[in-house]
Amino acid sequence: MTLGGYEFRLQRRATLPGWKAALFSILAVLFGLALFSIIFLQAGQNPVEIYKQIFSYAFLNSYGVRLTISRFIFLALASYAFIIPAQAGLWNIGMPGQLYLGALASFGVVYLMGGKTGEMTASQPVIILLMLTAAMLAAGLFGAIAGFLKGKWGVNEIVVTMMLNFIAFYFVAFMIKDGGPFMNLGGRGESFELPEAARAPMTGGFPITLWIVFILMVMLQVLFSRMGLGYQIRAFGKSPAAARYAGIKPFMIAVLVFSLGGAIAGLSGYHYFAAVPGVYKIARTYGYFGDLAFYGVICGLISLGNPVATLPVALLFGGLSIGGRYAQGKLHLGFGVDYALMGVLMISLVAFQFFYNYQILITKKEKKLDVAISD
Amino acid sequence: MFRTKKKNGDIELHGDIWKHIQPGEVVLDAQGITKRYPGGVLANDHIDFKIKAGEIHAILGENGAGKTTLMSILFGLLQPDEGEIYVRGLKVRFRSPEDAIKMGIGMVHQHRKLVPAHTVLENILLGHPKSRGVLKLKEVEDEVMALAERYGFEIDPRARVWQLTEGEKQVAEIVKALYRGAKILILDEPTSALTPLETDRLLESIETMTQDALGVVPFITHKLPVVLSISEKVTILRKGRVVDRLNTAETTEQILAQRMVGRPVIFNLQKQPIEPGEPVIQVEELSAKNNKGVMALNKVSFTVREGEILGVAGVAGNGQHELAETLFGLREAKGGRILFRGQDITQASVLDRWKLGMGYTPSERTEVGSIPDFSLVENVTMNYYFDNRYNHRGFLDYGGLRKLTEQVIDEFDVATPGPDVPIRTLSGGNLQKVILGRVLSRHPKLVIANLPAQGLDVGATEFVQRKLLEARSQKAAVILISEDLDEVLSLSDWIAPMYEGEIVDMIPAEKAQKDTIGAMIAGLHQERGS
Amino acid sequence: MLPFLIRSLEAAMIFTFAGLGELVDQRSGILNVGLEGIMLFGATLGFIAAKTTGNYFIGFMVGLGIGAALGLLHGFFSISLGVDQVVSGMGIWIFGFGMTTYIGNPYTGPLGLDKLPTILGVSPFFYLAVIMVVLVWFVLSKTGLGLQIRSVGERPSVAQVSGISVTRIRYMSVIFGGMMSGFAGAVYALYYNPVWNYNFLMGWGFISLALVFFSMWNPYILFGGAVLFGLLWQLALNPQMFFPGLASRYIWRMVPFIMTILVLVLISSKWFRSRWGATKPEALGQPYHKE
Repeated sequence: MTLGGYEFRLQRRATLPGWKAALFSILAVLFGLALFSIIFLQAGQNPVEIYKQIFSYAFLNSYGVRLTISRFIFLALASYAFIIPAQAGLWNIGMPGQLYLGALASFGVVYLMGGKTGEMTASQPVIILLMLTAAMLAAGLFGAIAGFLKGKWGVNEIVVTMMLNFIAFYFVAFMIKDGGPFMNLGGRGESFELPEAARAPMTGGFPITLWIVFILMVMLQVLFSRMGLGYQIRAFGKSPAAARYAGIKPFMIAVLVFSLGGAIAGLSGYHYFAAVPGVYKIARTYGYFGDLAFYGVICGLISLGNPVATLPVALLFGGLSIGGRYAQGKLHLGFGVDYALMGVLMISLVAFQFFYNYQILITKKEKKLDVAISD
Repeated sequence: MFRTKKKNGDIELHGDIWKHIQPGEVVLDAQGITKRYPGGVLANDHIDFKIKAGEIHAILGENGAGKTTLMSILFGLLQPDEGEIYVRGLKVRFRSPEDAIKMGIGMVHQHRKLVPAHTVLENILLGHPKSRGVLKLKEVEDEVMALAERYGFEIDPRARVWQLTEGEKQVAEIVKALYRGAKILILDEPTSALTPLETDRLLESIETMTQDALGVVPFITHKLPVVLSISEKVTILRKGRVVDRLNTAETTEQILAQRMVGRPVIFNLQKQPIEPGEPVIQVEELSAKNNKGVMALNKVSFTVREGEILGVAGVAGNGQHELAETLFGLREAKGGRILFRGQDITQASVLDRWKLGMGYTPSERTEVGSIPDFSLVENVTMNYYFDNRYNHRGFLDYGGLRKLTEQVIDEFDVATPGPDVPIRTLSGGNLQKVILGRVLSRHPKLVIANLPAQGLDVGATEFVQRKLLEARSQKAAVILISEDLDEVLSLSDWIAPMYEGEIVDMIPAEKAQKDTIGAMIAGLHQERGS
Repeated sequence: MLPFLIRSLEAAMIFTFAGLGELVDQRSGILNVGLEGIMLFGATLGFIAAKTTGNYFIGFMVGLGIGAALGLLHGFFSISLGVDQVVSGMGIWIFGFGMTTYIGNPYTGPLGLDKLPTILGVSPFFYLAVIMVVLVWFVLSKTGLGLQIRSVGERPSVAQVSGISVTRIRYMSVIFGGMMSGFAGAVYALYYNPVWNYNFLMGWGFISLALVFFSMWNPYILFGGAVLFGLLWQLALNPQMFFPGLASRYIWRMVPFIMTILVLVLISSKWFRSRWGATKPEALGQPYHKE
């Protein structure tokens, strides 16, 4: 393409240095936020003013910060659940279903130990540990379904995980509504409340799940950059045929990444329904938290599958979605501002994918030539 | 993007320009063709080139001499930075293959440009003006058959392309170009996938074409004798320039090779006599299916010993690929068994085969043999992530792997800025050196080399062949799969010609004769000798 | 029983519209996993347009239009910008999911227009769907345009050297695919389920995507699959018709999704693949760079 005596050409990048990748990711987010201003403008508001409010509520207001951290934990876990299969080239969009299963399993532990109706006799650490284990196991197994089907018969994992989301969604409804076993004693269409002993302890004002996030970050970083298993996952993600030739077993990889991803998504379910102060139940609006998990897709993509880079992104998005909700209530915007934000951030990210793969070469034209073939 | 096209004007022009053509008249004249690539590489440097009606004019050059670029420019796939092209004296500018096709240029690609899932007829119709609206298959079929008969081609227009042999595919491409009205036919490595018999037939057909005043331009890298037999004139390219123009009647193979490479070429590799040792691999009645579920490997048996090279010769698609994959566990064996140093490994995993001391260099170097986005170090890791020397309790020793990669780069003379660049930035020859170097660095007891030198230039080919001979000297068993009879003959201790999934015969190198083997891979040798 | 069957066929027609678009798309080598997003957009904007103007026609036109626009967007990302097709498709889905939740919320509730007329008790769109199936089959297998689309999806480099613009054919296909998905969404929201609610499409876009894999890229099989899924869906919504008093309604709600997975498993098995002998377009999902 030529414009005003200059020639613009696309060229595939040979390499992309880390700082450039980070720069493009930041630009993508900024572009998304700029794009999102349209929604505020359309509602007759000054975007700069609103962003100021969103950020100050999310990151400066003491109540807002606590909500932000809580959502950060949730998004970080959901992102990890997406990243692990993504490193193997597989798409896990089943985080909602996996986190529902995780939540149900941890409530199941309490239910079986009599926590729905009376006091629990076991000590708190035992209960918490059992709940965490159950959440990871159930969600890991649920996630493994997609991995198993993919590894065994090559069934499309996107459709399967999406279908599993709906299945899990109705399974939760079955458990907590219409007289389901986990239904609230008061007959409301939500689960029973966790007794004191089954609530996740707080450390330094934050739920223990925050520490789980940091531990997972280190573990995943080591897995992908240092370990043979991480190498196998990455190799399979880049080229399944080459991986098979190198002796890597596709079935094992598919099942493994989906089990791990599912288990971590299960933790995010545990977090929102059993570890956030003031909740401690599977609320009627549990579907909202499932939808939020799709932010994990964006976090994972924008941080290019890097477990460390995921955390600042998750923090930013957590703050934005909390602040967005706040702005929505305060400025009487329509419902679903945080949904719209998710959509806009995603599409902006997709547009910016281009820069990861290509660079634009601009050269001054010296004489009239034909259009060069772009590659 | 949405370029509008003048539809009728071009077609009328096309009809006019080829009227009253006289043999001997210059039909294509390329003057001063120059093409620079980003980074300043001069792929074509002021190339002049003429072709007359009824003439066969070969273009000869090594990989990297600029042949592909020139071909692409003549066919409109690339645009030259400088220079002009005249067709029958009319100055033309090709913006796409469509423009070139309309000016009567046809191209037969080495890597077949046919849709495998479609029928021959559908392929011929693709892009043809007659394919507008509802397809008139019957009418076109009759015309195609008449055309094929004129030039002595046998063709089944209703067959699916994937069912065809390489030779039949080439015929389909030629017929497609002729049916589109080509008057100048560019042939890219026309004989590289053909048996000697098919080659003879092709030459006859080309003869008929020249009688019809077509200009034929074969581009050739490897098979020098073909140049001599096929063409009247030859233009030799080296490093993007025309270095010579010769009449083939007045030259020899040695001269051509020397001009092409720029130095005298030794055609014989040094092969040390070696006493073969213990059997390394014994294959008994091995069978396997191809990707379409058809039996492609039929009860094949052979043994390879330490210090022996078994050359599996054959035309593409006769089961060699399936043989390699089945031996390495990438394809399921449907019968028979494989013994590796006495151990039955028929059901063993690929990983187990690596660990036992087998090595495989695939023919699909970018799809299977390497991971293009990974660095050289990470690509070398493909063969070491499971190895206790570099995997300590699950943790990889990337420092050690980096050193190993540097060794491979050194020993195999790989041209690369360093071990950390993505491997997709390497040229084909260097990529193959890394793959081979990585596999050989494990000192495997058995190396299966699938088309190891295909598509490489003379220098890299020689290097790869020498390395295989070195492995042999170190008592490895080598299974060399090749479509190049000369390569098989010069490297192997035993030669196994394959035809339709069967090994026709096992011939010791000293008794091997090129014409006999040529007949065997063409399916002409029916009886099995010993 | 009869209303049950009619309802099934009407569900089938929506799967068919969306699936046919995706089928043509995939035949040209472009995978669009975001058709749920396009359908959501078509449904929501079509619904809003019809509700505010009181005119069905405008609603359907808006559905077609937004579908074409999003198809074009997917084309721009995946053809011109060379973005991974799955990433782009997922982007369009999440974009659609997020935006329509926000945009449609003020319009939550019934459409409030007279129901569209039927022919012999079945929606005229059903007959349109049947015609489209035959038409798409005819174009793909009997015309030069179809040959071009199929070739571009199998071997784009071959199409290019045969003088065909891969870019043009692929853009045409994605825009067609987008229009069909957007229209399917509009039919869903204006006829089948004219009550707007957040994410009320219930994964029908993903099911249509699964149907395309099921169809072996053959419009007739796609239609058969759509009818099968329509029946399954109705069965799951009306279990009392066949299994009175059995299990909770929420358990029954899970059934169509479980069936989708089972069908996917069946069609992915070697046994099934070899029986039908069909293979997917070779270049599906691969970006094409000119040589």
